[in-house]
Amino acid sequence: MNFKTRLVLVIIIVFFMFILHNSFWLWHLDSRIPLLFNFMPFAYSYYVGYAILAVLAMKLIISLAWPDPPEDLFDEPEPLKRQNS
Amino acid sequence: MTNTIGIGLLLSYLFILIAIGVYGARVSMKTREDYFLAGRGLGSMAVFMALFASNITAFTIIGHAGFSYEVGYGAYGYVIGWSIFITPFTYYLVGYRSWLLGKKYGYATQPQVFGGIFNSKLISLLFLILLLYYTLPYLVVSIIGGSLAFTTVTEGLVPYWVSAMALIGISLVYTLPAGFRGTVLTDIFQGTLFLVVAALLLAAVARALGGFSEITADLLKSNPAMLERSLSDDLSPVNWFSYSFVNSIAVVVFPQIYTRILAARCSTNLKQVSLYYPIALALIFGVSTLLGVWGSVAFPGLEGKDADNIVPLLIHHFLTPTWMVLGLVVVLAIVKSSIDSQLLSVAHLVTDDLLPYFKKIESHQAVFWGRLFLLLFAAVAYYIALIRPAAILSIAGFAFSGFSVMLPVMIGALYWSRTTAQGACAALILPAIMLHLWYLDILPQWTTFGFMPVFPSFILAIITLVVVSCLTPAPSPDQKEKTFGLFGRVFQ
Repeated sequence: MNFKTRLVLVIIIVFFMFILHNSFWLWHLDSRIPLLFNFMPFAYSYYVGYAILAVLAMKLIISLAWPDPPEDLFDEPEPLKRQNS
Repeated sequence: MTNTIGIGLLLSYLFILIAIGVYGARVSMKTREDYFLAGRGLGSMAVFMALFASNITAFTIIGHAGFSYEVGYGAYGYVIGWSIFITPFTYYLVGYRSWLLGKKYGYATQPQVFGGIFNSKLISLLFLILLLYYTLPYLVVSIIGGSLAFTTVTEGLVPYWVSAMALIGISLVYTLPAGFRGTVLTDIFQGTLFLVVAALLLAAVARALGGFSEITADLLKSNPAMLERSLSDDLSPVNWFSYSFVNSIAVVVFPQIYTRILAARCSTNLKQVSLYYPIALALIFGVSTLLGVWGSVAFPGLEGKDADNIVPLLIHHFLTPTWMVLGLVVVLAIVKSSIDSQLLSVAHLVTDDLLPYFKKIESHQAVFWGRLFLLLFAAVAYYIALIRPAAILSIAGFAFSGFSVMLPVMIGALYWSRTTAQGACAALILPAIMLHLWYLDILPQWTTFGFMPVFPSFILAIITLVVVSCLTPAPSPDQKEKTFGLFGRVFQ
């Protein structure tokens, strides 16, 4: 799979997470879903689940489109490098 | 006896901060890169704590709890829901590519990265002006908010002007000698302290109110609207949607956050940070939400500014005096961790990106100038925090939105090789002007079509960037190669 295709998949993941956050059609469940652990209402527990999903989504994005730089990338002499050190 | 223990704890805390300052100054090399970026050598935990502590402000524990007190559990998703995913994602989207450029070309700030991509001093200057313009009022507001909170927690024993002086003074104790390294070390120490005290406060409140289940059962009987988002006027779907464009996507644009990303040692550090971040954000805002909502059971009937005092109230009523001092320390730590990084990043921007227009400085001289600017901005911020001018407070009101609408240019510059300097200029200036027209009520509200002004401004930034870039000559092959040639070797 080339990088552009993987980037498209990443965009789909982001869009999916955005939809899940703006899921207004689920709001009516706030009064219907039982409390999680007997104290967490759906409006709250939904985002506990969302946080776990966010970690999984980031894991997927890392494996899809976050390569490490080649080892020699920063070794080459670079005339444009700022005199920082 | 209790007072003695409390004062002992407070003095120990201050002693540790001074020790960190002294230690940080000893291990720091006297170079620009070491003072402002800790030599680009931060490991995963250090980058994570540095980013997270700079991201967490007085709003997290004071303002958000107050908002949760008023609107209920829905505040959790409204304020932080989208950030839980998108903030760490922007560390990948913008952060990683910027880190690659920084590591390759020695860039240390946004004006350098984006000025470098377009080979344009104008872009560099525009970034500098906009970042300073939004960061300075935000810094002053952080100091005002933190000082008011500290004064409230101490029930006026420590007056406002002393609180503000203490916040800035303590931040300078370690930031001035040790620079970036000092702020990172204190972030790690204070972050750990915060988690312990927050857990204790939550447990103490739950115990006093009869347990987790009992509190929710009480709420169900007395105020069921606190459990249902659709019953809250403040959480309308259009506001909920618009708010996705306010704080969550702005974070990576904050100079204090962006610089910390550039300080990571390797890409693995950034990957790990993006995995820790969702849980950490969910945890800290989760605690803050519970404290606010539970506070409405313990102290019903507070409104407006009084509701914002809910956490100090809980600390007073539900912690023993000794733990109360630790609670104070935590409030101080949270507020201070964002103030020190903002002060340092402002001093960094001026030293690295403004001063060279007037004076050629060597690397070791940059540390001296950085410290001088740090002191200068601390004094100016203190003075402004004392007089609280309305103009500054009004800019701070939309600083987050201002940062957000800069994001399309950053993404365009890093992903679309056809982006031109003219397109970037127009997309930085036009949305900033529109934001002012909307927030200062110069344009009528209906022109935003019911959305918060940040949303149409964000869309305007994208359209302007694309249209002006397409209408102006494409960047030269050399200019493209410098950025996209490098990315081409990494992203295959």
